[in-house]
Amino acid sequence: MRLTAYIARRLGGALLTLLGVAVLIYIAIRLLPGGYAELVLGNQLEPEARDYLNQKYGLHKPPLEQFWAWLTSVARGNLGVSLVTQRSIGDEFLRRAPATIELALLSTLIALVVGIPLGVLSGLSDSSPFWRTTGRLLGAIGASLPEFVLGTILLYFASAWSMGFTQRGFVGFFDDPLANLQAMALPALSLSVFGIALILRTTRDSVKRVTTEPYITTAVARGDPPGRIIRQHVLRNASIPVLTVSSTFIGYLLGGAVVAEVLFSIPGVGLYVFNALGNRDYGVVQAGVMLAAVIFVMINTLGDVLYAVLDPRIGSRAG
Amino acid sequence: MPKMTARMRRFAAAVALAAFAWTAGAAPADAQTTISWGKPSEVLSTDPHLSGDGTSWTVFYLIYDQLMGMTDDLKPAPGLAESWQQVSPTTYTFKLRQNAKFSNGRPLTSADVVGSLKRLLDPKLGASWGRQLRAIKEVVAEGDHGVRIELSEPLTPLLSILAVSTTSILPMKELSEGSFDPTKGMLGSGPFMVKEHLQDESWTLEKNPNYWREGHPKIDRLVIRIMPDDTTRIAGLREGRVDFATFENPDTPRLLKGVPNVDVYIQQTPNYFRLDVSALQESSPFKDDRLRKAMSYAIDRDRMVQIIFGGESKPEYLVPAAFNPPAECREHPSYKLPRAERVKLAKDLVKQAGAENQKVSIIASPVLVTYPLIAQVLQRDLREIGLQPEIQQVPVAEWYKRVFAKETDFHLAVSWFAGYGDPAIVMNWWAPGANAAYAGFMKPVEEYGDVMAKVRNLPDGPERQQAMARGCQIVYDQANLLPLVNKPDYIAYRSDLIQPKFGKIEGNFDVLKYAEEFTRKR
Repeated sequence: MRLTAYIARRLGGALLTLLGVAVLIYIAIRLLPGGYAELVLGNQLEPEARDYLNQKYGLHKPPLEQFWAWLTSVARGNLGVSLVTQRSIGDEFLRRAPATIELALLSTLIALVVGIPLGVLSGLSDSSPFWRTTGRLLGAIGASLPEFVLGTILLYFASAWSMGFTQRGFVGFFDDPLANLQAMALPALSLSVFGIALILRTTRDSVKRVTTEPYITTAVARGDPPGRIIRQHVLRNASIPVLTVSSTFIGYLLGGAVVAEVLFSIPGVGLYVFNALGNRDYGVVQAGVMLAAVIFVMINTLGDVLYAVLDPRIGSRAG
Repeated sequence: MPKMTARMRRFAAAVALAAFAWTAGAAPADAQTTISWGKPSEVLSTDPHLSGDGTSWTVFYLIYDQLMGMTDDLKPAPGLAESWQQVSPTTYTFKLRQNAKFSNGRPLTSADVVGSLKRLLDPKLGASWGRQLRAIKEVVAEGDHGVRIELSEPLTPLLSILAVSTTSILPMKELSEGSFDPTKGMLGSGPFMVKEHLQDESWTLEKNPNYWREGHPKIDRLVIRIMPDDTTRIAGLREGRVDFATFENPDTPRLLKGVPNVDVYIQQTPNYFRLDVSALQESSPFKDDRLRKAMSYAIDRDRMVQIIFGGESKPEYLVPAAFNPPAECREHPSYKLPRAERVKLAKDLVKQAGAENQKVSIIASPVLVTYPLIAQVLQRDLREIGLQPEIQQVPVAEWYKRVFAKETDFHLAVSWFAGYGDPAIVMNWWAPGANAAYAGFMKPVEEYGDVMAKVRNLPDGPERQQAMARGCQIVYDQANLLPLVNKPDYIAYRSDLIQPKFGKIEGNFDVLKYAEEFTRKR
């Protein structure tokens, strides 16, 4: 009963949050100067033409009426239609989501594959000036080098040396896996650098902390092989903070790695929403923000509910 | 040395094969001839009658036909009309091609031409190009392949106006039945038709099997890849991912120098960059005639040409240089006087206006890389005469809102005009009431309206030249909207892969006028 009430409160809070986001994004985008009709007509803007376009797209209706129509439509799962293409926004998101998800997963994979071993080495060899310096240097570069700078450099060298990375442009993974990976390699690499720095530093700090724990000393004193100590004790215990930052990193990327998508012409969600913002394609921007908000709120709410299930004290104590 | 085991040999073979496949990246066999175009921006709207976005026009020309075309020396040429006659100063008849069809197979008839022009002229649609054609009194079908246009007064640029993509011929039968909506798709009689459109990604155009020009287009497919970033387009050319690409960047020839097999074609145009000046709002310092005059005297067009375009441009005039403007257009004091003298005059005017150290803003949207570059040269010019200019790089939507509105909110803004096929078309934008978009910042000058009436009505000759000369004087004296320098187009292509053809000079932004003649070499 208490748990049910707790879940109900959490869900209610989630819905209120989403409503707040809906109101904020609706108002915010309409406060931006210029509208879609002005953009299309450009310096051939005639009042009659603007009225014609606004009427055609329903933009002439009172703001509250437009908001209510949009909100109720979204609540029914219909994200509306793009002003630019007149096509379903939901269909467009579905078409683009795989590219964004794949980019996020690949970047995170690269970050983990590179960051964790380097972090472990750096953490275990902290007394070695070489590894200490290498770890810190890589961490600093990764954290400070903007992805568009790295991406531009990679793009130049890859095309100048004909390394075949962007040969045919973006292709879906299931259409042609090799061509897909060729197209995704450079953007994933440019995005992963920050993740490598993040994971390397977190792993290094976590490993350093774990190696000072008494159970490690015990394992060493017991004569356990170093490899086994690292695998069974160090990595397992050091992994929790690494998992946390990795999930934060992937969440950040799933929000749409706009810069990488624009630079490498990856047709993902980030590029779609970014272009829509410039085009004042209101429905797309609103849908993009709402989608990100729904994912974020859902994950948080699910986490809260899981905690309450695992720890009954949370359900009874929390507000 | 240990012997290589079978397992190691299989592993080595797999690695070699993967490496080969990676670098070879062989495309699947394709029986169709395809050429790819790297385009900097997406099409914003598919209705050619309403689009004010020049980069969308380049695509409209591939799908739609217009009644007229334009030669490489900016003269009227046959389009959908295979011939025409000016029966009287106010009557034109056109004979349409008998074999013209829309890509859905339906024959194009005079009803489509009449309906399209009437749609353009419909005040409810409010198409700006309807105003260019306001002299049209009546459009009548004469049989299935004849059209007669009756004018209320002579209109010398009529044939040139009918060559612009904003006057494209739409499938009116389908439009009136409701099976076609020009704001949702494109259905034309041009060389190509839309096979697929992936927003922000690509357009796949296939050859129109019903195109009236036999044997054309010579390729089966034109793929337009949307690549907003110059670096990406250059990489695409280098790798052969695109066969040609269009650029706005004046540094294009330098950037592509040394890239193997890439040639750059600089297409001449009568187009020019311009400076919009806010002369109506109280908040604008340029409401003061003296300050506008000072600003116009300070502009150093030669420096713009050298610094920004490396000499591949030229100062422009109200009547574009390509149309051989009268002397008065080229020799106004704001152009002809030595720069030192102009700067002195300008400084005096600034002092008289009490505007020393006056802060002024220049809107230069980064949507075109050239706008901020022009603004930087202007900034230096205006500082020289004692003003404090600040460049504002704002997004397109904000730029339009602040400049092309009833209540404007700007001082100076950089933009551009197409020069089209007749000087009367571009000159018309200055006429009072010609374009509502400029009503927020342009002071109407009645005399210019009278002058423009003559330019539009008179046939080519000394009298028309005289009217143009007077028009130039008025525009330069008003300094409310000023031509700056010529705007060339840049097209880079893989000379080892394709055999393109480009027009010598292009005024309607039909950059790929000869796309139907492109062929692949390999």
